[in-house]
Amino acid sequence: MPTVVVMDVSLSMTRPVSVEGSEEYQRKHLAVHGLTMLFEHMATNYKLEFTALVVFSSLWELMVPFTRDYNTLQEALSNMDDYDKTCLESALLGVCNIVQQEWGAAIPCQVVLVTDGCLGIGRGSLRHSLATHNQRSESSRFPLPFPFPSKLYVMCMANLEELQSTDSLDCLERLIDLNNGEGQIFTIDGPLCLKNVQSMFGKLIDVAYTPFHAVLKCGHLTSDVQVFPRPEPFVIDEEIDPIPKAINTDLEIVGFVDIADISSPPVLSRHLVLPIALNREGDEVGPGITDDTEDENSANQIAGKIPNFCVLLHGSLKVEGMVAVVQLGPEWYGMLYSQADSKKKSNLMMSLFEPGPEPLPWLGKMAQLGPISDAKENPYGEDDNKSPFPLQPKNKRSYAQNVTVWIKPSGLQTDVQKILRNARKLPEKTQTFYKELNRLRKAALAFGFLDLLKGVADMLERECTLLPDTAHPDAAFQLTHAAQQLKVASTGASEYAAYDHNIAPLQTDFSGSSTERL
Amino acid sequence: MKIFSESHKTVFVVDHCPYMAESCRQHVEFDMLVKNRTQGIIPLAPISKSLWTCSVESSMEYCRIMYDIFPFKKLVNFIVSDSGAHVLNSWTQEDQNLQELMAALAAVGPPNPRADPECCSILHGLVAAVEALCKITEYQHEARTVLMENAERVGNRGRIICITNAKSDSHVRMLEDCVQETIHEHNKLAANSDHLMQIQKCELVLIHTYPVGEDSLVSDRPKKELSPVLTSEVHSVRAGRHLATKLNVLVQQHFDLASTTITNIPMKEEQHANTSANYDVELLHHKEAHVDFLKSGDNHIGGNSREGAFKETVTLKWCTPRTNSVELHYCTGAYRISPVDVNSRPSSCLTNFLLNEPRYKMDGSLEIPLERAKDQLEKHTRYWPMIISQTTIFNMQAVVPLASVIVKEAMTDEDVLNCQKTIYNLVDMERKNDPLPISTVGTRGKGPKRDEQYRIMWNELETLVRAHISNSEKHQRVLECLVACRSKPPEEEERKKRGRKREEKEDKLEKSGKDYEPDKPWQESERLKSLLDREKEDLAEAEVIKDSPDSPEPPNKKPLIAMDEMPTVEKAKGPMSLLSLWSNRINTANSRKHQEFIGRLNSVNNKAELYQHLKEENGMETTDNGKAGRQ
Repeated sequence: MPTVVVMDVSLSMTRPVSVEGSEEYQRKHLAVHGLTMLFEHMATNYKLEFTALVVFSSLWELMVPFTRDYNTLQEALSNMDDYDKTCLESALLGVCNIVQQEWGAAIPCQVVLVTDGCLGIGRGSLRHSLATHNQRSESSRFPLPFPFPSKLYVMCMANLEELQSTDSLDCLERLIDLNNGEGQIFTIDGPLCLKNVQSMFGKLIDVAYTPFHAVLKCGHLTSDVQVFPRPEPFVIDEEIDPIPKAINTDLEIVGFVDIADISSPPVLSRHLVLPIALNREGDEVGPGITDDTEDENSANQIAGKIPNFCVLLHGSLKVEGMVAVVQLGPEWYGMLYSQADSKKKSNLMMSLFEPGPEPLPWLGKMAQLGPISDAKENPYGEDDNKSPFPLQPKNKRSYAQNVTVWIKPSGLQTDVQKILRNARKLPEKTQTFYKELNRLRKAALAFGFLDLLKGVADMLERECTLLPDTAHPDAAFQLTHAAQQLKVASTGASEYAAYDHNIAPLQTDFSGSSTERL
Repeated sequence: MKIFSESHKTVFVVDHCPYMAESCRQHVEFDMLVKNRTQGIIPLAPISKSLWTCSVESSMEYCRIMYDIFPFKKLVNFIVSDSGAHVLNSWTQEDQNLQELMAALAAVGPPNPRADPECCSILHGLVAAVEALCKITEYQHEARTVLMENAERVGNRGRIICITNAKSDSHVRMLEDCVQETIHEHNKLAANSDHLMQIQKCELVLIHTYPVGEDSLVSDRPKKELSPVLTSEVHSVRAGRHLATKLNVLVQQHFDLASTTITNIPMKEEQHANTSANYDVELLHHKEAHVDFLKSGDNHIGGNSREGAFKETVTLKWCTPRTNSVELHYCTGAYRISPVDVNSRPSSCLTNFLLNEPRYKMDGSLEIPLERAKDQLEKHTRYWPMIISQTTIFNMQAVVPLASVIVKEAMTDEDVLNCQKTIYNLVDMERKNDPLPISTVGTRGKGPKRDEQYRIMWNELETLVRAHISNSEKHQRVLECLVACRSKPPEEEERKKRGRKREEKEDKLEKSGKDYEPDKPWQESERLKSLLDREKEDLAEAEVIKDSPDSPEPPNKKPLIAMDEMPTVEKAKGPMSLLSLWSNRINTANSRKHQEFIGRLNSVNNKAELYQHLKEENGMETTDNGKAGRQ
């Protein structure tokens, strides 16, 4: 998930901090220190993620567009000038534009706002923005909630007491509320110093930037993996107790399905699955320790030489055109598949389905999927020419069952004409004639539309009189019979108007040929 | 808590009193002129639907759309009211489909215009509707069971849609009062009952319908709260298509639906099969499907749909799919749809196109199939070399018959036979000295020799089979066959094997012993006896081979910085390589050409002790001589 760092470079950020020792620090320096730590952490654990840097005062500027080059970001931190006053709204609007231009509205994005809690004065101050929040028109909408899924983290270069002495904290809290509660405010514990800034950014890293490590399992085959970006907990609001669900760190493959059968299913999120060499002792990589990267590289090099299950799995899925169904938790599934990056490169990816026993109706209940060898006969046929999917629903939907709807006159007219057309081709069309006739009869009875039955009966009788001399003699018999049957049904008398009753073709001496077909 | 919102339970109450038999006064031409007709025929007079027919078909349409988009968890209870209430179905999921409702409606039939209007009333139906809302649905029951002591948190809300012909506004108020009172009474009853639930919220939607051309005696009224439990709204609608439109609007409001129109779908013309024209099809679905569209700001809202002024529709242009079923596309959402005009030709063309794939039904079994799948994966991966160069047997076609059945949970006698055949076949291959697909990657030269290749192959095969012997006694039989048939490895190998085998046998004995122990103590003596027998056998074996596996080989005392040992002819076991033959010859020849070093002559195992004189001089242990020298 991409990150936008939004750095306050207003004059108030240059306020000095009294630090033990001679060197003079400004709040800005503390912020740079914290961000350096964040960038170093990301360079190590979030190599693939894009980050952008925006600075703002009364204006805003995109210092570094989305990049994976953390050195550039780091350098930009040391090239920031000081400007005038804080004007948060325009900066947030800028963030909206930057993110939407690069990622659209569907990709979740984290916004890290670094400020000292002085939220500006007059027009454009956060106080002013919030005060006028309810009087906005659609065109001057406040940028929160962000139009993309987001988390807004506010890193305050101030401690709680300082923020509480003004209404800054309340304003910032309202900001989070406006983002539908998506986000968090961090403040410095204790006096403002490098150590406490470090611990504040450490908390942010714990909350938002801890890598997700898991063990991918398939029977006895396993691999340590990092799932990237980190899968976020999901809330099912259909439930009575909507508690966020997190995925297991044991990802167990339960089986394999053809891509054609799973057919581009809807997913909550997509993640890269990267095999990792877990350095068991070195798991706790302390902040700011860069010497570790060398060790890690060599560990990765060694790991690259050891056969890895991820490689086997990725290659197999690609060759077979299949996906692996993976269990993420109780009644929660996902799929692993090979995703082509370019013509030459592809990756092992994992997508999460919506939690529940039946996330994809065309596969039925996940727990009911089993090994092919358990089926009495191979559901894919001997030469793989059929498939058991999609599953037929127990009740067909209206569009799959030829329902009768006469709300528009055209619906009724079409049905009557079908009968008429077949009536003219009797006895060849005896079967279809009666099929359509019975469909009309059933609907008319259900809707209590008995006049229609009478009308169609009259019509059939008239058709009988219009039969040409060349007509088959059976046609007249069938028309008369059908008309008479509709007439009795139109009385509504229970013995003739039973819904389940079907009008059967009349058995005549001529109907030998037609009865054969029935 | 969305699941138990008002739309979980919908009760339809449709008036079946004599006045509903009245015509809606909207004519339908049903005898349309078709081409090639004999001229001069006067079409039959148009007919018109009754108020009842209009009400029923509109409510069926409401249900059709609802069932299409929510096949589960959204339930309808259908009640018709005349001299009493007729409840046509229940809340159970099996009762929730159009066919059931249509059959039940046919059984009721149209209202009898000659019935006594004094005995008939919509009130019977409304009372029954409140009763129905108190009845627990299977979903509510399930949720309550799961929540146990928190069962009261399961909500009970519902909606009553009442279609009637009211006499006046005060008549409508009377109906509302009646519903409110009934709810009050039934909630009291439900409070003391386990299988009834109190109604927390009820939405009453009263639809007054009247023949086209008449003045309405009832005025529209937006939703109004009558009590904390009951809200009510009144719609005064002309019968015929107006009523149908109203219910279509309502179903969209009640179930959060939105409309999408697929435009420009090419379809073959009915009359001229070789021409094609473009059509539009309007679909309804949950409005969540549009959320991302609206967010992106790129709204495709293409104006109002043809039907009414109420709703907006998002237009999408049809794109004939390139069917490439082996590609996965990123998909963020899939939504159930229902065509607005279900049996119009364009709609059915589209749905048939999308549905034309063959479909199957699966039969479930008692065991959870997914658990069986996991179990199968476990078995298949017990022995699974990760890379091709790590395996011999999985590169051999000849092993396939065995490898494919040995992973099974249970084997048939035929399977065992096939495994045995496979093993015999391999023995045969070895006898004929057939080459094996041993990987030579990473080894210099041609790789291991043929007999070594076979040894590797047999070892690997044994590993595979051993991984499965616990599955069944038949798997055990395959191992026995394999062990008996496999090529005899060189002596040393043989000894190790024997040791291992014996350990295993003992293990097994112990295992079987353990199995019997709890219930059959007399088995213990049997086991001891067999152990003793085994011991005797081993003794005999040891005599034959001299070197008993019980006495381990002397530990290798060779120092780590060992000099290259000269392989001597006596030492070399098994066939010799050309290189060793050659170097032996050269070495013997060379040794004759010079006087042998004293050290080598006095050496033990080709190793001579250096600085022996120091030991003699100091009278110290050689190992300490460094220290001693310094002293």
